[in-house]
Amino acid sequence: MGGRRATKQGGMVTVSLPADCRIGAQVAVHAELVAAVQASAVALDGTRVERVDTAALQQLWLFARALEKHGGALTWKGASQALEEAAATLGLTTILQLPAQQPA
Amino acid sequence: MGTVDLTQFHQTFFAESMEGLDGMEAALLELDAGSTDHELVHTIFRAAHSIKGGAATFGFADVAAFTHVAESLLEEVRSERRPVTSDLIDLLLRSVDCLRTMLDHTSQGRPAADENSEALRAELAHLVETGTGVAAAAPVAASAPVTVAAAGWKIHFTAHPSLLQTGNDPVRVFHELKQLGELQVLRVFTVDAVPDEFAALDPTQCYLGWELTLSGNVERAAVDGVFEWLDGDCELAIEPLGAPAAAPAPATAAPVALLPPHPVPAAAVNGVSGHAADAGSIRVGIDKVDALINMMGELVITQSMLSDIGANFEPSQLERLREGLQQLERTTRELQESVMRIRMLPIATVFNRFPRMVRDLERKLGKQVKLEMHGEQTELDKTVLEKIGDPMVHLVRNAIDHGLETPDKRRAAGKADTGTLTLDAHHEGGNIIVRISDDGAGLNHAAIVAKAVERGLVSPGHDLNDDEIAELIFQPGFSTSAKATDLSGRGVGMDVVRRNVRDLGGSVSVKSVAGQGSTFTIALPLTLAIIDGLVTTVGNERYIVPLISVVESLRLKPEAVRRIASGNEVFHFRDEYLPIMRLHRAFGCANAVREIERGIVVVVEDEGQRVGILVDELLGQQQAVIKSLEKHYRKVVGVSGATILGDGSVALIVDVGGVVRLGRRSEQAAA
Repeated sequence: MGGRRATKQGGMVTVSLPADCRIGAQVAVHAELVAAVQASAVALDGTRVERVDTAALQQLWLFARALEKHGGALTWKGASQALEEAAATLGLTTILQLPAQQPA
Repeated sequence: MGTVDLTQFHQTFFAESMEGLDGMEAALLELDAGSTDHELVHTIFRAAHSIKGGAATFGFADVAAFTHVAESLLEEVRSERRPVTSDLIDLLLRSVDCLRTMLDHTSQGRPAADENSEALRAELAHLVETGTGVAAAAPVAASAPVTVAAAGWKIHFTAHPSLLQTGNDPVRVFHELKQLGELQVLRVFTVDAVPDEFAALDPTQCYLGWELTLSGNVERAAVDGVFEWLDGDCELAIEPLGAPAAAPAPATAAPVALLPPHPVPAAAVNGVSGHAADAGSIRVGIDKVDALINMMGELVITQSMLSDIGANFEPSQLERLREGLQQLERTTRELQESVMRIRMLPIATVFNRFPRMVRDLERKLGKQVKLEMHGEQTELDKTVLEKIGDPMVHLVRNAIDHGLETPDKRRAAGKADTGTLTLDAHHEGGNIIVRISDDGAGLNHAAIVAKAVERGLVSPGHDLNDDEIAELIFQPGFSTSAKATDLSGRGVGMDVVRRNVRDLGGSVSVKSVAGQGSTFTIALPLTLAIIDGLVTTVGNERYIVPLISVVESLRLKPEAVRRIASGNEVFHFRDEYLPIMRLHRAFGCANAVREIERGIVVVVEDEGQRVGILVDELLGQQQAVIKSLEKHYRKVVGVSGATILGDGSVALIVDVGGVVRLGRRSEQAAA
């Protein structure tokens, strides 16, 4: 759990998503995203994500929306294949501004 | 808010999947028997589909993968693109077996897939890939409500907030849809209920909706099936995609035909037997639970009435007190019956395995067997039920292997080619009687006697009547089959069958007529927990003789008793001489009646053998709750358990089988 801390560097907040990024982890992820939602720039690190579900993807989308509303910018520090596939399945690849890659 | 713990549903999933497989097997066998009922195929398909859905939900990937391939094959059958052949049914029956094993393994936390399952899965997949072999089957009669839309379906799916919390996940649902056809997300949207502030979001609630298209030759039922598990957790509208004008509109925006909510086991009752291995659960019908609650209500009323009388008791109320006590007795008895009924399950759960077994044996042995089953709904105690399966399997195997003849032999004997095997269960007094009869050759008396002589069980030239000969097959290690087949010649003989049945407090006997067949009769107690007993005294102690075994009680005159060479006593009873077992001598009781004419002889019977038990006197009949003597003390020959009488004293329950054997042994020793 130690690595999943929001870190702040030069105005850029990074939020790392956990390996098991399913409904059970979303309350904790939510707390971190709430802390980051006012930032001017947020980078999401989805490289470690092995398991992900709708609860996680929904939260990421709503976070992206809220961040945009506040004028913040969202970037990705990478996304695992599992994350990309699940996002593609739900039709959220574009909305989440995931690194462009053809869904499988 | 924590994650939803799906493990709590695992047991239900396993139980329902096993039931589904049973149904699947039964339907396959019916199809095999030549039935053309389209509904059977649907039943098979639905079972596979539910198991697949559940397995995927719970993350049992191996099971889900296996059922997925089986389902694809079944889908071809259902849409009449693949004909039902005997080979196909064989393959599917093997798949049922394989799935049972896989579920078993999964429930034990072991990996489900193994070499066998993978090989079978490959075989199924190969069949699916190589096509159906049927170019264009005649369209099904319009009876099937399934419409095939060539273009596909448009799906409007909006989650209810609770959707995720019930363990459902659209990612998985869409994955399943992808397996049916080409899935495209046209639009994903949030519902109005989504909070304005991100901080106010409950991340375990679902606020999303989708518009999807599923293109391809997909049946509506298959789409419905995918959403089956989302019962009540979403708004759903499924419309045909670019439906031709003539096509009947399948109820636009109609909610998915969802299955009724899965019946929750009304009560899980642990086995009373206390065997760790049996500590399973029972699914109990609501009616039985309701009956129990009714009885409980009655009991509470009676109790309050009695405490009312007790609080202000006057001698004039004696009559009311008596009435109250009678009512209490009646209600207690009914309550007891209702409670016992909870443990009662229909014997169908055992019978159901036989159609398959008979089919397999027929093929293996080249015999033709017609299986008839009667009284499948006869109920008996779950513990008895679980333990009677193996002995019955053995008897059915024997009947087909040794009893029924091959068609040519039957023809030579002037019988129909097809032999009949009948299973029958019914209640008789306090017993359940299970009969397994065949119209085969009957017991080969000459072979049995020869074998018995060879084994030294009887001396050569000893004259035996038919019943005695039949009795020989229950002797340990007895097997007359000329060659041991892989079916019956496993070294497990009839003696094991008898021992198993005896362990249940039951008995097994055989009647056979040469050339006409054999009938094995198993008599079992309805329950292992309570018996009706005859309370007797012997000296200062009380013994309970199970009423089921009592033939008659009588007082003998001294001259009716004969002493034989060994000093043992016998008496004449209905054309036969029975040994007398003096219970006081067998159990070492002090102060007991020693003169025959002052005591009572209770004639008891076990498996057709009778002895007379000498007791001091009879006190009456009583139901006795059996307490295991073995568990609390140790095993005592001739005693099957103990019970506590109304006055708090302990009475021992006579093991009639043991006593009869003791009596017969001393008689034989004397002979």
